[in-house]
Amino acid sequence: MTLTAGWFMGLAAVLFALGGAGVLLRRNALVMFMSIELMLNAVNLTFVAASKALGQVEGQVATLFVIVVAAAEVTVGLAIIVAIFHRRASADVDEFAELRG
Amino acid sequence: MQNAALLPIAPELVLLIGMLGVVTSAVLLGRDRREWGLIAGVALAVAAILAVMQWLLLGGEPGTLHYSARGLSIMRAPMVVMDAYSAFAGVAIFSLGLLGLLAAWDLVETLGDRGAEFVALLLLAVAGLHGMAMSSNLVLLFLSLETASISFYVMAGFTRDRIDADEAALKYFLLGSLASAVFVYGIALSFAAIGSTTIYGAGGIRDFFSNTIVTERGVLLVGIVMIIVGLGFKVSAAPFHQWAPDVYQGAPGGAVGLMAAGVKLAGFIAIGRVLAAGFAAQIDQWASIIAIVAGISVILGTSLAAVQTDVKRLLAYSGVAHAGYILTAVTAGIFGISAMLFYVTTYAAMLLGAFVIAGVVTGPREGPSSFVQWAGLRTRSPELAMAMAVLLLGLGGIPFTAGFVGKIQVFTAAASAGYLWLVVLALVTTVIGLYFYLKVIKVMFIDPVADGVGPIEASTTARTVFAVAVGVTILFGLAPWPLLDIVRDALPL
Repeated sequence: MTLTAGWFMGLAAVLFALGGAGVLLRRNALVMFMSIELMLNAVNLTFVAASKALGQVEGQVATLFVIVVAAAEVTVGLAIIVAIFHRRASADVDEFAELRG
Repeated sequence: MQNAALLPIAPELVLLIGMLGVVTSAVLLGRDRREWGLIAGVALAVAAILAVMQWLLLGGEPGTLHYSARGLSIMRAPMVVMDAYSAFAGVAIFSLGLLGLLAAWDLVETLGDRGAEFVALLLLAVAGLHGMAMSSNLVLLFLSLETASISFYVMAGFTRDRIDADEAALKYFLLGSLASAVFVYGIALSFAAIGSTTIYGAGGIRDFFSNTIVTERGVLLVGIVMIIVGLGFKVSAAPFHQWAPDVYQGAPGGAVGLMAAGVKLAGFIAIGRVLAAGFAAQIDQWASIIAIVAGISVILGTSLAAVQTDVKRLLAYSGVAHAGYILTAVTAGIFGISAMLFYVTTYAAMLLGAFVIAGVVTGPREGPSSFVQWAGLRTRSPELAMAMAVLLLGLGGIPFTAGFVGKIQVFTAAASAGYLWLVVLALVTTVIGLYFYLKVIKVMFIDPVADGVGPIEASTTARTVFAVAVGVTILFGLAPWPLLDIVRDALPL
């Protein structure tokens, strides 16, 4: 059995679903954020696999951009989470319920 | 045309230079806010003028000017496209950005030295918003979207001393990143099915649909759905709207207007480009999904807005309903684009105006804006109460306001596409929607003033913004034809 691009894309789909489940089910802001990073890496895997299968370099270039965006999100996201942690000594999103109506 | 080689990206270049200018002036030269405010204002004004030049160069026709790193003329895969659509979007977005800067000025004045960061982020966000309108490549669209979004995450949490501001920033950040991940996964899947992320040019998405039979139907459909979910989240269409009320309520009052209006404007323009131009051949696949999202949005937005007791949350939920109204036009594909542009530009102006007034009434740094603080606004500031009343009536779609003309446009487009059930649903919710707009007007004009509050004086900058917003609402309500003529020509390639 040879490993075709479909297998890699299937793995990516599973990783993406795991990441999505993590965002929806876990309540710690840091873990939710890690799950989003997992989803972005699943996207990278899809891009690379499709790129390889189609013989197009476009998808591999896209991967580099996604990595850069993920890095920028880490910078801002960790700053926000750390600022919140300083104030509340907790990163549990269920405790954030000041805003409602 | 060689001279025009840089024109497609000139507005973005000007904004980025302006951003560096603001940072240099504030950090290295230690100038005061008057100077870097001027730099930012000039950069936005020049960008708007350049967009007008793009429009004039194209002669109001759907243009053919592409730009990529390899130069001009027909590219194999252009990254950026300058057509009447992106030129019109440029005029609208940069003007909105200029108004947004004026609207945020009360906030900037309270921020001290940190104000420069805020203004720089605002310029970066506006550049990202227009990048969304002119991207011909889906990955570049994603990058532009993130440039704007990440700037807005920071702006949402800018007043760190308030506990609800960092809550708003965290919610915006987590849900926004989730939506971005879904969006880019959609791009990856459509790339897997099509073999290209570029819309125009040889070997692009449009070329593919006209020359090739789609073999990966399922993958492509999932990809398109995920793209719709990602963009639908950004424009706060139901059922992806949960972040909007909390973010609008928690973010600083001076910043939220541009955050709300700018993302809606650019988001719908991107939806128009991707769906109506890029995936035009697949309209049978996505039009019904858009119609369902629009239906859910108008119902949920209207019914949830009716029970709000906070003006900003009310505007957020009414924004969900408005996203639904605008999406009704998108169901008509390319034939609904003009209606969508008319609605979304006038709506963005009204929304920005309403948030500016909310910022004046409850403070540019503050978040929550409950009805109690609005009670008896007529006696505290007749000018603010009158302006807010006009804007609310415009949002509600009363005749002789721009909101009414916009609604007629989008409903006509949806009806011509055969979505009569959606038009009927939208008409019913429009009538119900009047209830909560009139409720706010009743609070402002009839309810007694709370004890211990004095008259309110709006600053000149805030007054300019809501005066323009009221002007747009009334002018394009009474005489919509000039704008209607323009948007009829502002079609994507």
